[in-house]
Amino acid sequence: MTNTLSRRDFLKVSGATIGAAVLGQFIPPWVAEAARANGMLDATNSGYIPSMCEMCVWRCGLLAKVEEGRVVKLEGNPDHPHSNGKLCPRGQSGLMNTYDPDRVLTPLIRVGKRGEGLFRKASWEAALDLVAQNMLDIKQKYGPEAMIFSTTHCLSQSQFESLLNGFGSPNYGTQRSLCFNAMIVSNLTTYGMEEPDRRYDDLKYIILTGRNLMEAISTSETSALSQAIDRGVKVVTLDPRFTKTAAKSAEWLAIRPGTDLAFHLALINVIITEYLYNRQFVSDYTSGFDRLASNITQYTPEWAASITEIPADTIRRIAREFAVAAPYALAHNGWRTSNFVNSFQTERAIGILNALAGNWGVAMFPASGEESGVLGTPPQPPYPRVSAQRLDGVPWKYPFVPLKIGVFQELREAAISGTPYQAHGWFISRQNPAMSLPDRGRTLEAFSKMDFIATIDILMNDTAWFSDVVLPEASYLERYDPLNIVGDKAFIRQPVIEPQGEGRSALWIYKELGTRLGLSDFFQYADEEDYLKQQLAPLGVSLDQVRQTGYVELPSEIGEFSEPNWNTPSGKIELYSTTLDQGGFAAVPQWEEPPAPQPGQFYLLTGKVAQSTQFGTQNNQLLHKYSDEPRLWMNVTTAKNLGLANNDLVEVASTAGKIHIKLEATQAIRPDCVYLTPGYGHLSKGLTVAYGVGASDSDLHVTYTDPISGGQALSQTFVTVKKI
Amino acid sequence: MTEIKHKTFLFDATRCIDCRACMVACSVENKIPMNKTRIWVAGIGLKGEYPNLERASMVYHCMHCNEPDCLSACPVGAYSKRLDGPVVYNPKKCIGCRYCMNACPFGVPHFDWDKGLIEGAFIDKCTMCPQRIDIGLEPACVATCPTEALKFGERDDLLKYAHDRLAAQPARYVNHVYGETENGGTSYFILSHVPFNELGLPELSSRPVKDVSEEVMGFTIPFALGWGAVLTGLAAGVHLYNQKKEADARKLETSESQAEEKK
Amino acid sequence: MNLQIKIHPRFHMKPLVVILLALMGIAFIIAMVRYANGIGTISNLSNSYPWGFWISFDLFTGVAISSGAFLMAAVVYIFELKKFRPLVRPSVLTGFLGYTMVVIALLVDLGHPERIWYMMIHWNHTSVLLEIGICVMSYLAVLAIEFAPVVFEGLKWQKFAHFIHRFIMPFVILGVVLSTLHQSSLGSLLLIQPAKLHPLWWTPILPILFFVSAISIGLSMIIFESTLSARYFHRGLEIHLLDKLAKVIPIVLVVYLVIKFSQLTIAGDLKYLFTGGLMSVLFWAEILIGTVTPTILFSTKRIRQSANGLLLSSVILLLGMILNRFNVSWFGITHPDPITYLPAFMSSVHYIPSLPEVLVSIGIFSAGILAFGLAVKYLPVFEAEEHHGTES
Repeated sequence: MTNTLSRRDFLKVSGATIGAAVLGQFIPPWVAEAARANGMLDATNSGYIPSMCEMCVWRCGLLAKVEEGRVVKLEGNPDHPHSNGKLCPRGQSGLMNTYDPDRVLTPLIRVGKRGEGLFRKASWEAALDLVAQNMLDIKQKYGPEAMIFSTTHCLSQSQFESLLNGFGSPNYGTQRSLCFNAMIVSNLTTYGMEEPDRRYDDLKYIILTGRNLMEAISTSETSALSQAIDRGVKVVTLDPRFTKTAAKSAEWLAIRPGTDLAFHLALINVIITEYLYNRQFVSDYTSGFDRLASNITQYTPEWAASITEIPADTIRRIAREFAVAAPYALAHNGWRTSNFVNSFQTERAIGILNALAGNWGVAMFPASGEESGVLGTPPQPPYPRVSAQRLDGVPWKYPFVPLKIGVFQELREAAISGTPYQAHGWFISRQNPAMSLPDRGRTLEAFSKMDFIATIDILMNDTAWFSDVVLPEASYLERYDPLNIVGDKAFIRQPVIEPQGEGRSALWIYKELGTRLGLSDFFQYADEEDYLKQQLAPLGVSLDQVRQTGYVELPSEIGEFSEPNWNTPSGKIELYSTTLDQGGFAAVPQWEEPPAPQPGQFYLLTGKVAQSTQFGTQNNQLLHKYSDEPRLWMNVTTAKNLGLANNDLVEVASTAGKIHIKLEATQAIRPDCVYLTPGYGHLSKGLTVAYGVGASDSDLHVTYTDPISGGQALSQTFVTVKKI
Repeated sequence: MTEIKHKTFLFDATRCIDCRACMVACSVENKIPMNKTRIWVAGIGLKGEYPNLERASMVYHCMHCNEPDCLSACPVGAYSKRLDGPVVYNPKKCIGCRYCMNACPFGVPHFDWDKGLIEGAFIDKCTMCPQRIDIGLEPACVATCPTEALKFGERDDLLKYAHDRLAAQPARYVNHVYGETENGGTSYFILSHVPFNELGLPELSSRPVKDVSEEVMGFTIPFALGWGAVLTGLAAGVHLYNQKKEADARKLETSESQAEEKK
Repeated sequence: MNLQIKIHPRFHMKPLVVILLALMGIAFIIAMVRYANGIGTISNLSNSYPWGFWISFDLFTGVAISSGAFLMAAVVYIFELKKFRPLVRPSVLTGFLGYTMVVIALLVDLGHPERIWYMMIHWNHTSVLLEIGICVMSYLAVLAIEFAPVVFEGLKWQKFAHFIHRFIMPFVILGVVLSTLHQSSLGSLLLIQPAKLHPLWWTPILPILFFVSAISIGLSMIIFESTLSARYFHRGLEIHLLDKLAKVIPIVLVVYLVIKFSQLTIAGDLKYLFTGGLMSVLFWAEILIGTVTPTILFSTKRIRQSANGLLLSSVILLLGMILNRFNVSWFGITHPDPITYLPAFMSSVHYIPSLPEVLVSIGIFSAGILAFGLAVKYLPVFEAEEHHGTES
């Protein structure tokens, strides 16, 4: 069947799921016809088609090599700024994602108990009708707010929001609070934007706090960092683990978890007390310096040294080196900053550090926005007014969290507690909350409170496994998505092969579902191509043209750097945040002592590897082939003291739950920490490669939410480890 | 006549982040079964004691030696070296003796241990992606490397590039381009921040490993002919000597019996 | 002339025959599995150890123990020492069966046994293995020709037997040349692995060492086979002949030792004699068992002239020399181990032959023994002296 699999490799799929890869025999080959008409494929249906990867959020542009109607290789698209012609291991493995024998290729309706994995095939009509019926029932009985809609941020986000908002529910779950809320909310309060862009070309000094770019690969940024190191840029990495990024850095500081804040406060202390900050920039473009300065005097390097376990001299030296290199110095604001409750303060400190260095326009730039008004959108009426409170506490409990981001773990908690009201249904699209939310046991408990759960996915991921209806999305190589703006271009995702089985794009699924929910006004496009044409209309470019090149260039106002302007109350970079002050929170970064493990307990660290993306790629055979076995990292000396040896089976326990996993005794981690690569320990037997591999850290994570940013504090979970 | 130049890889261990994109790309490009690989990670991985640590690993595949030992060893000549660099394996000639696996100092050729007579058990190894390089593309591993740890090009150019890097950043590298002379020179250069044996590379002199074997083999035919001639001469000589002895003995017998008769 | 074949005393070994047949049957089944599913399914060979028990036992040892044939053929036909006649046919039979077993074993070990004849038409002249392949297959033909008269006499086709006998000389010379080449080339096989074979064994003069030791092995095999046959087939033992052969062995062994230790000295590798750990132990074992002890034993007249002494001494030499072959082809070899391996399926493995692997070799060997017994029973293997005393 597939070119990359021998017949031996065609694994037996669990009989309960219907995963056999069936070529779309019953759908007219419209992809091939159109691609041939466009000159992208020749008469044998062979050629290169440009599209976009979806193996992670970086969405590198790719060129899909198609041979006789099958995609046989993926190359990076040299024209795409996120890829520059390269693809990371996940990107290269993408066709295995499409041709995975475990693909869900027909709509499925549950017949057994939730979690048994017994489904029956159904037609799209029957499945969509069932989903709509259930959702309308819930709306009628309990109000639209009883329906939770959650998705991981993707290109069809606005169509998802049409469903959510059109339906009238305020309960919007995204993955962001599990990831970068601390960073986003901090940047919003400091710089008035979610995440400034970073450029490495002119840098001389970089401080990385976590941000394991060499393993959490964002292709172009990883490449830029590597090139910077090549040129001799000094990189300092703070990380309790000796990651691959730490290995490439000039200095690795094995900082105590939770104390990045102290480190950065001390850096600011040195830079301010020794007058090393960029005075002109601070005076012209920041507000609140004096209040910052007066508050910072207590945070000396000596104070920080005992907290962080990094020598005061080192802290002082780095502060000076950073300042000397300024403005060609960058303190990276990180990305997944869901570590400790004090991570928000850490992010504030990092943002301020950059401002003191005056590196705006050198290292940091205004974000090239996703939502600019230059693309067309289908017309739609205003959304109905929603009066119900959000279950996730935004904004009534979390006034600083943007509505589009939310606090996902709170949503889950409210689904269990029924406070302020009980949710009854959950509609999930391309998201795996059963694996991603902390404390998997509670997520499953939340599921049990639902009358109805429907999931859109391409594989029988864990969340799909526990759903009532599974709707098969076409994989990213098989579908259109709305255009994606990167820099000064808008890039297209288009199908490179005929969708297999009954897989359909989210654009289609949302419209079909929306129509059945009476929301067709919010989906005023005939099909995916029509939608894209409407997007392109203001630009006067045909869809065929864009499909050939893979992108359309945007009018030049986008992405140009003009006079600095920050969307804050003062219009400047807020060292002292009036917004935070008004909210009753610390207006300048304040030290918050993080919780620490008791004797016999360890910090449970999480992180990334280059061969997987969060919770959805562990079934990919190509990635599995080249992945390290997921084991629990523990420092060699600690292990010896506990009488544990490499590869021992151990039980790891927290107050949330426990897991069994093999131990990896390594030098590359602090003695008071253990580490587990997330994404393993799948419960779904429909993932025949991933099932039974490793264990899930979600079973261990305790839910802690930062009151300011809503970020989950993943590293505040402490565990015991003992031999089994 | 245009000089055909020699295509070569360059691997910089200081740039490699062990992401394995190259390996996934190779597997896809060359349709490698899941239980096989033409490219793998080698090296000590982690070096040192907390917190003084270093990472060392490399991307390992066929070195495309200039004087291939596999080519020398294969009884039926299933290996050949293209003028522009790749060492090519020809499954049509292969008898599956696996001598090449012994001969290769780098342990590169892999064998189909799981294939029977009907499927056919062959050797598998990096081919330098001829289907790509012949149309002007780089091998799949090189093309996708996010940090340009892998480069590809003409041997002379890459050698110069490598030496320039060593000169420009002497503190960063061990001052040697592995593969420049090892085993008579390979088409895979390695730059490293750690001793090369910590990347899993064997210590080899510039004399190709196959030299002694080939020198001895060169004696075969002359020796066979000479030895055959010696043996023939020996046999003839012994035979003649014995014949003479017998004849003398018979003569003696005859003369004795004649003497007897005379009596 | 009465050409009735005397039925030699039957070997009352029916149980033995059954066992041998059973072992052959097991080997056959395992070989069929190997052909269906690949070598890896029935052996522990791997990319780290592509050659293992089969090569060491079937090829290296098998060829070594068949070296009596060319020695006897040379002694009798080139040097015309006719009194050794009775030893020719059994040694040719041993050689013929030995090489047949080698080829059968290769048919299991090769990835493409159906292409074994490629070595006759695709030639890479730098390959030691090619030379061995051609020589082994050619020499097998030569041995077939040298043994054909025995078969023909058994079939009572005397004319054919006579015919071959008349033109035996070129084949004998060819046989000696071929044997010299491939007995030494088995050592040359290792020349291309200088880094992998331990310095206690690797040397550019491996072929010379192999040839010299092959002479001692061949002589011992003749002694071993004769004493064993005498015991089991209840026939007379030509001790006077064996005594003369046995006298040569110590000379050969001393020459071997001198060459070997000179080589180690010149190469500067004497230090490994005591610092090589397990390698040193294996080396001393092979030297003491295969060289020193037999030199002493075979130098002792009393031992040389007793059937038991001859049997024991030859067994000791053979064991020691077989150990040498195993050391050179397997025990002394360390394949490069690029330290960390990923993917996990590439991890360096240590090699211990699997039971099916060993059973295949045992089965083939059993076939050889059975064939030997059948040949002795039905063919005039031991009758050279009686029927053809005057033939040249």
